[in-house]
Amino acid sequence: MTAQTESPAPVRSLLPRLRIWPRAGSGNGMTIVGMVIVLCFAIATIGVLIWPPAEAYTGNLMERWKAPLEDGSVLGTDQLGRSLLWRVAAGMPWSLGIAFTAAVIAMTLGTAAGLLAAWSPGPIRRIVQHLVDTVIAFPSLVLAVTVIALLGRGFWPLAATLGLATWPIAARVVYAEAMSISKRDYVMAARLAGVGSTTILITHVLPALRPTLLVMFAFTFADMLIAESALSFLGIGVPLTAPSWGNMLSESREYLVEAPQQMLVPATAIVLAVVAFNLIGDGVAAKARSRSRAVE
Amino acid sequence: MNVWHTIRGVLSKRGLELAILLFAISTLLFFLLRLSGDPAAVLAGEEADPDLVALIRQRYGLDDPLIVQYVSYVLSILTLDFGESLRGGQEALILVLQRLASTLLLAFLALIVTAAIAVPLGAWLGVRPDAKTRKWVNGIVFIFQGIPGYIVGLLLIQLFVVELRWLTSIGNQGVTSWILPSLTLASFLAPKMVRVVAANVSEAMREDYIRTARANGASTAQVLWRHALPNALLGATALIGTQFAFLMSGSLITEWIFAWPGFGLLLVQSVERLDFPVVQAAVFVIAGLVFVVNAGTDVVFRLIDPRLRRQQA
Repeated sequence: MTAQTESPAPVRSLLPRLRIWPRAGSGNGMTIVGMVIVLCFAIATIGVLIWPPAEAYTGNLMERWKAPLEDGSVLGTDQLGRSLLWRVAAGMPWSLGIAFTAAVIAMTLGTAAGLLAAWSPGPIRRIVQHLVDTVIAFPSLVLAVTVIALLGRGFWPLAATLGLATWPIAARVVYAEAMSISKRDYVMAARLAGVGSTTILITHVLPALRPTLLVMFAFTFADMLIAESALSFLGIGVPLTAPSWGNMLSESREYLVEAPQQMLVPATAIVLAVVAFNLIGDGVAAKARSRSRAVE
Repeated sequence: MNVWHTIRGVLSKRGLELAILLFAISTLLFFLLRLSGDPAAVLAGEEADPDLVALIRQRYGLDDPLIVQYVSYVLSILTLDFGESLRGGQEALILVLQRLASTLLLAFLALIVTAAIAVPLGAWLGVRPDAKTRKWVNGIVFIFQGIPGYIVGLLLIQLFVVELRWLTSIGNQGVTSWILPSLTLASFLAPKMVRVVAANVSEAMREDYIRTARANGASTAQVLWRHALPNALLGATALIGTQFAFLMSGSLITEWIFAWPGFGLLLVQSVERLDFPVVQAAVFVIAGLVFVVNAGTDVVFRLIDPRLRRQQA
């Protein structure tokens, strides 16, 4: 009962400011659903990297715009008769790969900056906070569009730009969480016992940050996937010939009348992946929340 | 006096951030443009004739040392001189400002749609969050949060333009052409807003003053209307302020899908045409707009809410 009325500050900082606690889904079950979907996507991505499917790039014009399940095609074909199933699969290393790389960059930089701010004296802390506030206040997509226009299309420019535009969100969350952890009794006890601050950071704070980082990573991954597809959709993302999900969507706009499946197949892939990562993030967060309630 | 104090505090903090941001962006653009090879060739575009390249070289002083170029570049930015569009030769800043009304119209419509969806739905979900049907609705809101706005836009076009043929999907051709773009832009914000309103209402319903009102015999509806909802709306309005940058990102995509003549569309087109003066002017105008909205909500909320006023701006 007391746990209900007291608002648990460390738990609130687990999520970026605007994620509201989910009351949907029944905890573990939905998390497992999310994990199964992510696992399938991961296996398919690795499979496509090892055996690149030629069907994704070459098609037969005679077989164009087949509806799903028509004449043995599973998800239908596009305007050049290429199999949509294989194209969505071949797009995974692009879409999921860029999202993954960008999320790793954002999380690494954000964690480093957040810990730096939490662990350093006033001036450095204020500089980092100002920097974070400044970048967060700007539309990241506008920034990304402009930078990529100059850097050119491709996997690395896109992943780096997205990561660099996103790290402040992770930094803010890590900073808030690290501050609350550093005020806990066992950290205080370690400090009084004369343990160095670097050792405290590694042995006490980082392990306690793990659930936060996991939740952040899941949400960041979902956001990066949306952003990558958005940029490709605007025609400013990956090379135009690459079958990334955003590119497939962009192409589909011209054939909405003839072949809605050309839009629906990549759209479903994006939504499925995003919802799966959101489910995992919410699930882990809910678990961490109930654990910290038990501690209190 | 207090009011001016608040406004000055907010403006100095936000103004510093804006100055840092604009300085960082312009420096980044300057050096990226020079890193990416011969800026004159980039600015002139592919298959440009040598005369044009030479002209641009002269116009931008590209033969000067890098530091001289940078200083004169910063000076011209400070006087809001972004140069002329490389396609058409109009003043870049004017070109961008002409689009302001369209973008603001779309943002305004989207906010109305968002409020119309999120306030009733959020209040309904928040009053009794544990009821069974509401858990299902919550699940649907959760899934909606995972659907990117550009997919919502395409689905709307598929349904209302291609299948039903009720509406058009290109440009601003009067009120009926406003429906799909504003729905699409609203979809970026609405699920978040629903969850904020629901969370705020359900939190407020547990507060002591609500319990007191109930004890005095107020019905659930009365408590909701008189006490819980006004509180939740304050939070929802604050969300608009903090999410305005995100809304601008969304309007970039929405305007592109529906060929809506705002500066999001102009920015994407200018990027495709490598029209850097316009790109730069657009980025600066968007940054300025976000600044005005953020600072404005900041000031208003500090004036409304005494708890915030006491915090240092």
